[in-house]
Amino acid sequence: MECNYVLEGKNITKKYKNFKLDIENLQIPKGFATALIGENGAGKTTLLDILAGIKLDYKGSLKFFGQYNDKDREKNPDVKNRIGYLGTGNYFFPSWTLKEIEELQGLLFDNFDLGKYREICNELALYTGGAFEKNKKVNNLSDGNKVKLMLAGILARETDLLLMDEPASPLDPLMRDKLCNMLRNYISENEGERSVLFSTHNISDMESITDYVIIVEQGRIVEQGFAEDLKEKYIVVKGEKKDEVSAAKVIKNISTSSFGFEGICLAEDIDKLSGMDIAVERPTLSQISVHVMKEYSLLGEMEDDKRAAS
Amino acid sequence: MKILQSSGVPIYQQIADSFRTDILEGKLSQGEYLPSIRGLAKELKISVITTLKAYEMLEQEGLVTAVQGKGYYVNAQDTQMLMEQHRRKVEDALLSAIYSARLAGMTGDELVETLQTLLKLDLEG
Repeated sequence: MECNYVLEGKNITKKYKNFKLDIENLQIPKGFATALIGENGAGKTTLLDILAGIKLDYKGSLKFFGQYNDKDREKNPDVKNRIGYLGTGNYFFPSWTLKEIEELQGLLFDNFDLGKYREICNELALYTGGAFEKNKKVNNLSDGNKVKLMLAGILARETDLLLMDEPASPLDPLMRDKLCNMLRNYISENEGERSVLFSTHNISDMESITDYVIIVEQGRIVEQGFAEDLKEKYIVVKGEKKDEVSAAKVIKNISTSSFGFEGICLAEDIDKLSGMDIAVERPTLSQISVHVMKEYSLLGEMEDDKRAAS
Repeated sequence: MKILQSSGVPIYQQIADSFRTDILEGKLSQGEYLPSIRGLAKELKISVITTLKAYEMLEQEGLVTAVQGKGYYVNAQDTQMLMEQHRRKVEDALLSAIYSARLAGMTGDELVETLQTLLKLDLEG
């Protein structure tokens, strides 16, 4: 499918002692919600920090909104004003009070709308009991409330792109549902102009808003595509015990029980299973992610074994 | 519109089916715009790409036309094509009846007989 990109990256690399982020080609479609999926330590946070300008010591080139590079992002306030970033951990200093945070965000961003900020904080039930505890410190907030505070901060601004690192993880199921609704709202408010990129290690919570998927393993992109396309590329296969051995030749991560087998394979390989008594099903994003991640984890293990043997 | 998460029918298909029925039954008339892709996604609490896929499907079937930056509007429907669409639905339903009949161990004659009985009842009713 043809589409424009809100964010593009070429040959983005960042080396650590035991880890290397190596993203050859990154394209985030404009007007959609993109999920960055990967195991813990796959490189999701590093990549998001590079995109948001939190980390500046990397190699490679970036392009924002089809026209700005990463130097523009640092120099031209318009670029950062159009981006909302939500990180994990301590984005705000722990000793700051809620009152100070309100004031600070107004100072940092030209487009911060205080009325809207308070409205969202109320909607997120951030001020328990309805009262604004202006002297409450960030330190005394739960992880979930810290995320809500950041979320209110970025949604109170007029932006075109949200970069969010694990926004759903610290939230309870009710709040996750609310988060999905808020993001859908955000995207629909300006038809085709607003985009969201968020990371998650638990895609099932965010499946209902995910349009585009990027799966990262060991610092590299191992699979990507529009959700509907990926659900057609892969297929869930279930079959009878008698076909287990021959099916295992086609289905790499086959799981077997005393009654039969189950696994995911490429839809184009389904002909190789002809003659067997099988049932097929459209996979969920969660099933696809696990399948892809397993495949690359296995490759990693095999490479480790080779290294150990040599 | 009722969207079922675990009916086995992909969600984009359910959306396309629903709009197709509305168009074929004339509830959506020629020139009328479908809801915006992102607006519908928000209403139905589903992803944007799913609604887009549903609309693209309707476009391929010639039921709607996409206009860059404006959305999707309903095409003039020619009656011949409408008839064909309905006929296809009949064939699909009959095929599934044949399949079920086979599972039930019914012969072809028995199936035809059942159909005739049902037809008669429907005409009388």
